[in-house]
Amino acid sequence: MTTPGSPAESPTPAHPRVRHHWVVRVTHWASAVAFTIMVGSGLRIFAAYPHFARKGETFCCFPFEHRPLPGWVHHLYIGGWLAGGRHWHFAAMWLLILSGLVYLGFVYLHGEWRDLVPRRGDPRDALEMAKFYLFVRKDHPRQGKHNALQKGAYFVMPIVGVVIVLTGLAIWKPVSLGWLTALFGGYVWARYWHFVSMVALVLLAVGHVFMVLAVDPYSIRSMITGGYSERLSPEARNARPFYHLLPRWGRSARATPDSAVAPVTVTSDMGGSAP
Amino acid sequence: MIRVRTIRLVERAYEALRVRDSLRARALVGTGDDSSHPATNMNLGRRDFLAAGAGSLAAALLTACDANPRGAESLLRFAERRNEVVERWLLRHTAMDHSRARVAGRAFPSYFISSSVPIWDPAVRGPWALEVSGLVARPLRLTLPDLLALPQTRQRVNHFCVEGWNAVADWWGVRVREIARLAGARPEARYVDFQSFDAGFHESWDLESATHPQTIIAYAKDGRFLPPAYGAPARLHSPVKLGYKNTKYLTRVAFQAERNGGYWSDQGYEWYGGT
Repeated sequence: MTTPGSPAESPTPAHPRVRHHWVVRVTHWASAVAFTIMVGSGLRIFAAYPHFARKGETFCCFPFEHRPLPGWVHHLYIGGWLAGGRHWHFAAMWLLILSGLVYLGFVYLHGEWRDLVPRRGDPRDALEMAKFYLFVRKDHPRQGKHNALQKGAYFVMPIVGVVIVLTGLAIWKPVSLGWLTALFGGYVWARYWHFVSMVALVLLAVGHVFMVLAVDPYSIRSMITGGYSERLSPEARNARPFYHLLPRWGRSARATPDSAVAPVTVTSDMGGSAP
Repeated sequence: MIRVRTIRLVERAYEALRVRDSLRARALVGTGDDSSHPATNMNLGRRDFLAAGAGSLAAALLTACDANPRGAESLLRFAERRNEVVERWLLRHTAMDHSRARVAGRAFPSYFISSSVPIWDPAVRGPWALEVSGLVARPLRLTLPDLLALPQTRQRVNHFCVEGWNAVADWWGVRVREIARLAGARPEARYVDFQSFDAGFHESWDLESATHPQTIIAYAKDGRFLPPAYGAPARLHSPVKLGYKNTKYLTRVAFQAERNGGYWSDQGYEWYGGT
């Protein structure tokens, strides 16, 4: 008889070989570089006309329509001048599109989408996570690969990315791809949605980087080499932003009793039903 | 701040290269077995390649902060050439731009590169005529009454500026396609140069865009003959190219086998400049 709870027996190995497949790791960093270039060069392009109204008209929905860009924005520019910004934008867009397509294709074909697509219980779990982060709840909610808030963010980011790319194509080729431009409500609106979705993705990315640094810096390693120790997971550390950043060496981590108990129950269930 | 960081990145990449070189030297000295060399070399070669890649990426990011990208220039030029292939493939003579919006009227921006509004003075330059020449069977000199006598195209279309704004106007004029037919453009004519009396301003186009059914030599805007600010007596107008490609104050349409840049393209803006 095999020992209950040995890695070969347990239905979900406690320590998968890598946390993120190399395709995910490569596309993650490629997208990060491409998106940074796209934002920097895109802001430079936007600065040439930081408004949305068609000439001779007004625009309803941009609160800064009649104001120039704030001075600090030029620190973020890539490309220097308008032509340079455009060259960077139209070069890096292929890197973004390519890595996005490879990522989405891989996640679909390899089954990773199961860790990302929301389920029925996710809103409730997300609420529990929010409670935990706000000190309303003491213990870290149980989670799968990601907690429910993370999962939501990682599910929404590619969708916003697709909107960014499509609206971008719509304003790059408003005549050749006129049907696409029309789909977004014409050139002015496509440009607006391009800008709004950029802001949304920047906010999501900033939130993501903040949470990585403040809650799970160990995940940086998992996104570079793939290696990750469950003992260091936020769940095991009961980690909130800036709380319990270091693993607790003295106390036994929370994950240990869980991982020891769960496989035993499963094997005994299987043993009971098999004959 | 960003520059300092990227400089450090470059330094670190070079440092990595140096360390690996010395490692490789040691590996070569240490192993007496010749058969192991190719494998060792290949492995280190890949690492060198990765380090060099990181260095060039850092260099690219570094120059991105400059007004004049140097290291990345060839990469960006390569991307522009690739993009042109895509843009030409996307261009369809059936893809038309239509606008039902109100015309911008006086809100339609106007510009010229001369120090003051270029005005054709017949007393100095003689009567204005549009010269059609180059690789044509029948070179033409078309006066304004000649143009008016040709089949008239009227269209309410967008004008897409490279800066990001668009403006709507009614344009009346003659299709370049019609001019090409009249003059008998030869099959080797793959490009068309549109020249002006505005301080030598010109822009050359690919034949496909020039003969798009919405590319016209316009002599009237919003139902009136062109005012000097908008390019009198005749100008090029098309929604399929960005505003800067649309030569105003036309003097000459030259069919040619080679492209010869243009005022803005020579300064670094995309030569194709399509929409």
